[in-house]
This record gives sequence, structure tokens and C-alpha cells, in this order.
Amino acid sequence: MSPPITSRIELAGVSKRFGSRQVLDGLSVAVAPGESLVIIGGSGTGKSVTLKCILGLIPLDAGSIRVDGQEVAGLKGAALDAHRARFGMLFQGGALFDSLPVWRNVAFALPGSVADRKAAAIDNLARVGLAAEVADLKPAELSGGMQKRVALARAIAARPPIIFFDEPTAGLDPITAAVINNLIRTLVTDLKITAVTITHDMASVRKVADRVAMLYAGTIIWQGPLDSLDGCENAYVRQFITGSADGPIQMPAARK
Amino acid sequence: MIGALAAIGAPVLAALASIGRLTRFAVTALTRLLQPPWYPAQVAQQMLVIGWLSLPVVGLTAIFTGSALAQQIFIGGSRFNAAATVPAVTVIGVVRELGPVLGGLMVAGRVASAMAAELGTMRVTEQIDALVTLRTDPFRWLVAPRMLAAVLVMPFLVMVSNALGVMGGWLLATQRLGFNSAQYLATTQRYLEVDDVVSSLVKAAVFGFFIALMGCYHGYHSGGGAAGVGRATTNAVVSSFILILLSNLIITVIVFGS
Repeated sequence: MSPPITSRIELAGVSKRFGSRQVLDGLSVAVAPGESLVIIGGSGTGKSVTLKCILGLIPLDAGSIRVDGQEVAGLKGAALDAHRARFGMLFQGGALFDSLPVWRNVAFALPGSVADRKAAAIDNLARVGLAAEVADLKPAELSGGMQKRVALARAIAARPPIIFFDEPTAGLDPITAAVINNLIRTLVTDLKITAVTITHDMASVRKVADRVAMLYAGTIIWQGPLDSLDGCENAYVRQFITGSADGPIQMPAARK
Repeated sequence: MIGALAAIGAPVLAALASIGRLTRFAVTALTRLLQPPWYPAQVAQQMLVIGWLSLPVVGLTAIFTGSALAQQIFIGGSRFNAAATVPAVTVIGVVRELGPVLGGLMVAGRVASAMAAELGTMRVTEQIDALVTLRTDPFRWLVAPRMLAAVLVMPFLVMVSNALGVMGGWLLATQRLGFNSAQYLATTQRYLEVDDVVSSLVKAAVFGFFIALMGCYHGYHSGGGAAGVGRATTNAVVSSFILILLSNLIITVIVFGS
């Protein structure tokens, strides 16, 4: 009998290089079923690349990625499609399809008749607090916050067991960002999904996370439960969460 | 010596790599056309965008060029008493060359740039990644419908272009140069051969393929934000112009060279 799977997602020794730049350098992290992991880290530290590697959008140079115990690095064709069916993704800019109305964006991956798909889209829009009238608008007619909510509705529409949130509050005002954070927390709890969020917004971290991991120099340098974050003595984490210009993390131009 | 060889070899290798990437892109798109799922609504929408919306610019270009061609043939022919060749040379010139080539260039300017800009924007705003995460193959959803639509629609556009080009010549010849309308049309009909029409339509389909291929290829591989999308748009138009002119020469030599 095989041992029970304790991690829904498990990355071990994942490395990725773009040209001369080593973006991920032996990254290892695991996410338990139903857990909300938030990966924090500065801009350009490879947070988005990590998510795209898990989704098979970017091939790995080295390492292993297991989802529900299955190795997914190097999957192709139907196996890769089946792997991706387990995920929903909220992209940083929403990535809504400009040419399609809102309801067709939300129902894009849903099967069924036009009427059924539109009804499902309206249900999902209601779940993120948007009225049915929004369904027939084009994404360009919506505010940034509403676009994020539509993208959120699209990410949950197929009820995937795992959802990735890439900088969910980037570019939003504090109130809209708080609404999005609340929505994510509620959806993660209500739908019992496993969530990985990447952000450098500490308000998001505190609202959304069960556990926090910090990515720096291509690897996870600290991880722990949310309530241990403020007491953490790791100098990199302390500098990041306090937003201090002084500390071990230097901007590239200031590095010796 | 080694430095000089390296200076020659590097761009040659880069060019070969580009040709390889482009070929792979084209083959991938073509194989997707043969396998389900298909998206007929996407094809229909692209046929409308490429065909119907290009009609005004292609039509105007054809009328003006056909008229100008008739005028030039009349002036040149008059020097050695061959002004009567206006209808024959106009119809051959328009149907064999000017109709498809100018039509192709106008559509390339309008459509290849729009495709590159649209796909490039989708690339930099992660919409193409979003398609993949929603288990939709971007080649099937974005690239194959555009290529099929362009290949299907271009022959119709060029037929319209040919007809309007000949009409432009007829209009100028009868209204300004004193030609008899019935005789002009009879001569036009007598000198127009099936091979002329077939070669024109074959050229149109080939041009449509290259226009969509270049627009999609450069847009799909766009990067680097707004500047990258701008570069992709320029490259799509320039490369489709070059491929249209080169393939036109090749087809002309093959069909009429002997």
C-alpha cells in the first residue's frame, strides 16, 4: 500500500536559468492540501516563474515538481492538459480576453450550452460580488478592481482544487485590494481549495496566508506559519516585512 | 581569420535558427488545422476582419492602379502606333500582377500589422498564458483560424481587385481616351486566359498564407512590453511584404517563364 500523500504540491531542487541569469536555484517548497501558502519576495526574484513552472508554461532546467504525488515536470500532450485541469490561475493583470464579453471570459473553459455557460458565469460573478449586468460588458469597460474580480471568477469557475494568485492586489487602491483579499480568503475557505499566492503586499499576506515562504536569490530562505512571521529573526524576512531600505537585501545597482 | 569566420557564421546561424523557428511555427499551425477541436466561429470572424473590412482599401487601390496603368499604356503605345493594346495589356497586367500583388500588399499592411499587434498584446498581457491554463491551445484558437481565413479570403479579395482594376482601366479608356466601350470589353475578354485567372488566385492564396503566418509569428513571439509589440508589428509587415514579392516572382517564373 502506498503511503498517504501529505503534500498537494511539492517542489524539490527546482532550477531555472534565463540566459546568464539564474532565476531559480534549487528551490524546494511544499503545499499541503487545503493550505493557503503565500510566497513573498522582491520583484524579479522568480515568484511568477515558480508558478509558471508548476503549470508547465516554462520548462525546468533541473529538479522535480510533484502534484498529488505525480511527477509533472516534462509532461506533454493530454497528460499536461489533465495536469493543468487541476489549476485555476489569477494572473497579475487579470489577462482577460479583450475581444470577449465578461461572461464568455468567465465561462471560457466550461462545457455545455450557451445558456448553461452564461448562467454559470453569472453565478460565479455573483460569488465575487459582481452583478449580472456586468456579464455582457467587455473587459475594457470595467475598472481595474472589477477586472480582477472577473479574473477571479474565471479562475474559480471550473472549481479547480488548486488556485494560483499572481500579485492579486497589484495596482489596486487599498480598499479594492482589501476587497480582493477578503474574496480570496473566503473562496479558499468556502471552496476548500489549495492556494498559492505570490505577492509583496504585506496586507495580502496577513489576510490570505496560512503559511508564508520567502523567496530570495532563487531559493526559499524562510518558511513558517503566518503567526510566526512577525517574530521571525531572519534578517532578510525582517527587512522585507518592515519595508526597510537598510538590510541584507540590496537593490541590484547597489550590490558590490 | 577565426574572428572573420565568426563574424560571418554568427548571423548565418541566427538566420538559419530563425528559418527553423518559423518553419516549426508554420508546421504546428498547419497540423492543428487538421485535428479537432476546430473553432469555426473564430474562422468566420477572421474572414470578416480580413476579407470584408479590407474590401474598401483593396478596391480603391485596384481602381486607381487600373486607371493609371491604362493611361500609361496608352501614352507608351501611342509612340509606336500601338495605343489599341490598352485593353489587352491592362487586363494582363492587372490580373497577372497588379491585382494580386497590390491587393496582397494592402492586406498585409492592414492585416499582418493588426494580427501582430493583437497577438503581441495578448502575449505581453499574459492572455496567451491564460489560454493555456484554460486548456485551450493558442495555435488552435488564435493562429490556425487566422491562417485558414486568410488563405480562403484572399482569392475572393483578389478577384474583386482584378475586376475593379480592369474596370478602372475601362472607365479611363472610354471616358478619357476615346475607346469604344463594347470593343474594349470584347478585347479584354479575348485576351484574358484561364491561366491568368488561376495564377492570380494561386498567388492570392499564397500571399494570404504568408500574411497570416508573419502576423501571427511575430505577434506570438513578441516580448518586451509596448516596444516589443511595436517591433513585432513592423517586422510582420516588412517580412510579409518581402515574402509576397518573392513568392510572386517565383510563381510568375514557374507559370509564365516557359
